[in-house]
Amino acid sequence: MAKTILKMKDIKKEFSGVKALKNACFELKEGEVHALMGENGAGKSTLIKVLCGILSPDGGETEYFGERVEFPDIAHSQAAGISVIHQELNMMNHLSVAQNIYIGREPVKNAMIDDSEMIRASEELFERIGVKIDPTVMLGELTVGKQQMVEIAKAISRECRLLVLDEPTAALTEPEVEELFKIMGELREKGIGMIYISHRMDEITRISDRVTVMRDGEYVGTVDTDKTTKDEIVHMMVGRMVYGGQKEKSNVDQNAPNVLEVIDLCAGENVKNVSFQLKKGEILGFAGLMGAGRTETARAVYGADKKDSGDIFINGKRVFINSPADAVKNGICYLSEDRKRYGLMLSKSVCENTALASLGNYQKFGFLNDREIERISKEKNGLLRTKTPSMQQLIRNLSGGNQQKVIVARWLIKDCDIFIFDEPTRGIDIGAKSEMYELMEALAAEGKSIIMISSELAEILRLSDRIIVMCEGRITANMDISEANQEKIMKFATLRNIQGKE
Amino acid sequence: MDNLIIRSKNNRFRFKFGQNYIILFALAALVLVFFLLNPNFTDRYNLVSMAQSLSPYAILGLGVTFVIATGGIDLSIGTVCIAAAVVAGKMYTSGLLGDNLWLTIPIMIMIGIDFGLLNGFLVAYLKLPAFIATLGTMMLSRGLSALIVSDPNIFFPGGTWFNRVFSNNNGIPTGIFWVLGFALICGYIMYKNKIGRYILSIGSNEEATRLSGINTQNYKLIAYTISGLMAGVAAIFWAAAFPTVAAATGNGMELDAIAGVYIGGTSAAGGVASVSGTVIGAALLVVIRNGLNMILAKFNLNLNSTYVTYVLTGIIVVVAVLMDVIKTGKRNKFRIRKREKKS
Repeated sequence: MAKTILKMKDIKKEFSGVKALKNACFELKEGEVHALMGENGAGKSTLIKVLCGILSPDGGETEYFGERVEFPDIAHSQAAGISVIHQELNMMNHLSVAQNIYIGREPVKNAMIDDSEMIRASEELFERIGVKIDPTVMLGELTVGKQQMVEIAKAISRECRLLVLDEPTAALTEPEVEELFKIMGELREKGIGMIYISHRMDEITRISDRVTVMRDGEYVGTVDTDKTTKDEIVHMMVGRMVYGGQKEKSNVDQNAPNVLEVIDLCAGENVKNVSFQLKKGEILGFAGLMGAGRTETARAVYGADKKDSGDIFINGKRVFINSPADAVKNGICYLSEDRKRYGLMLSKSVCENTALASLGNYQKFGFLNDREIERISKEKNGLLRTKTPSMQQLIRNLSGGNQQKVIVARWLIKDCDIFIFDEPTRGIDIGAKSEMYELMEALAAEGKSIIMISSELAEILRLSDRIIVMCEGRITANMDISEANQEKIMKFATLRNIQGKE
Repeated sequence: MDNLIIRSKNNRFRFKFGQNYIILFALAALVLVFFLLNPNFTDRYNLVSMAQSLSPYAILGLGVTFVIATGGIDLSIGTVCIAAAVVAGKMYTSGLLGDNLWLTIPIMIMIGIDFGLLNGFLVAYLKLPAFIATLGTMMLSRGLSALIVSDPNIFFPGGTWFNRVFSNNNGIPTGIFWVLGFALICGYIMYKNKIGRYILSIGSNEEATRLSGINTQNYKLIAYTISGLMAGVAAIFWAAAFPTVAAATGNGMELDAIAGVYIGGTSAAGGVASVSGTVIGAALLVVIRNGLNMILAKFNLNLNSTYVTYVLTGIIVVVAVLMDVIKTGKRNKFRIRKREKKS
């Protein structure tokens, strides 16, 4: 029986009222590849951050090689042999491979950095894990896959005993994935424990020994990979009905007119020939994994990013949308997934944030009518039941749900007809979530049309009249709510992988 | 100016106005110290002279406040101001404008606007970093004006209506009234017109403003154009106060004006601007320069007053901006935490 490296029990973590981790548990043995799975927001990344000391837990305990630990920061966890390979690599493109590996602990000879020793050591390192990379080339010249191997080599050079791989294959090509798995095999031989985070089911079943599933910050269960099936894992990941169950059938009249029609939209790498229609009063759910191109599609439709090609029709008329200003003129509005970065002016008041899009309507003879602006902000925020002591309250002091409402109020003033909600309930608590759902349903009932991007399947199934599933920049399914279920959506969301492998 | 919006119970405005009190207090304290050390400091003659040199700095500051409010910077204002004065003055002295001294006014303003538009185009549409774009126009305007006008000095006529209207009418510092007038107009644009609101919104969160359907490029262009226009306007007051304009004078003028803006409480990160603070900040700098001059002269200290002024100004700018940093510190911490949570 292999030794246990890591034991995390009942880890708790709360962010300003939102419970990210409730009672997360995890265990890792020597020479084991242990997959950590869960939907977006299930708490995987938070758990890893607690492990390596970026976040301090509010409760629970961590045992590392039999000793109870709580690392104060990442330097301590690294010193103890824990390395994390992030989805996005944190390395210096303008330094050589060897310099990247030994940054911060360069070998020194005669008060000078000993480059030849550094290169020799790097070569030895690459030999140990069996990859061919020239340590003298600039890191930026390597492919993402090779860069990842450099990062792994760096971890090995630090005598790492626990390696976390956070979606390592997201940006890799097929042969690169193969090479990565080969290296992981070598590391397994050396007794290094690996935590493997990925959404790709086929990779999990191939490489991992055990799978632990998390959901809503809670531990769901751990299974041996060879004693389970993909379906069982998917079921563990999504198997719950928290938000009042699935909508049974579409509320939209079959003959309702199309308010928005997108034909063959292409934009960059992540939006490939996307076509869809949005009917009046419809809630159209966009499901898919992170990086499937849903946000990119929305941003291209909205004119926030450049499109390469494609036509957009509104109420049957062709329109040209090259900037958000054009989109707003055509009655489209967009509520970003990242409110703080793309939605709010944090240092300004509720009133100023509400009126941001429509100041022009409240200027008479060159003077802004502040009283009228405050009145309309109050009216719309009152309608949405935004909880704020006054319109002059700084928006940063509001909770996530109320901040979201302020942005909805912004667009209500503007009287938009098409709402694009990108992850409308990210980072807001359960109570505010159901209010948000009611709000979207009310908007749809009023005849507004809604595109809702969400990574929470329960949310998609609860609200949508129709569901579009995207995978790697393409639409893989377009189904009516009556024929949708979680397993089916999950299947289409990972379509390429399943087809490619089986 | 700020009290137009002070009626809100918003902490930020209260704090901003609080900072106004602090610099007003600092200004009063400095005047008192200088008066005690050299009673001549508050001579009518000296006060008028200070008011005269205040006008161009305050007006440059008012203009660049709009750019700083967007989170940008305009380094070219000083050299554009001198370029406008030199070119218009040369046109007049060479007889090109005949006897019409008034024609120099629209010429100076037009030159300012042109450079402002150029800056705005480079920053808003070609997306150059503001520091680099305006550093370029700064050098460009200095070089071009010196090339066009080869004379080392340009003499505007002294003692004419021009000086009386814009600088000093028999001991009445007329320039100061213009400054107050321009401050009112700038306050109106900044706080009561959507142009200012959107400029401040861009400074707060440019991407959120753009995604709200605002044409942020246009508003940035407007901010830089206002800055250039005011540099042209400042040239009028410069020429009226100091009729001998040399292409080499006014080096570092932009830095004095910008320092005044920061001292006045406008945030270097954008989003928060104080128009009244800019005028008070400019006044503070003028008082320091003049006061130190007089003290050094009186006590026969063998120190170069310009350098002493720099030392003192430097300290004040750092302290003023430090206050801004402490004030926004909470927000920054919040941002960092947020980023950790996301990644």
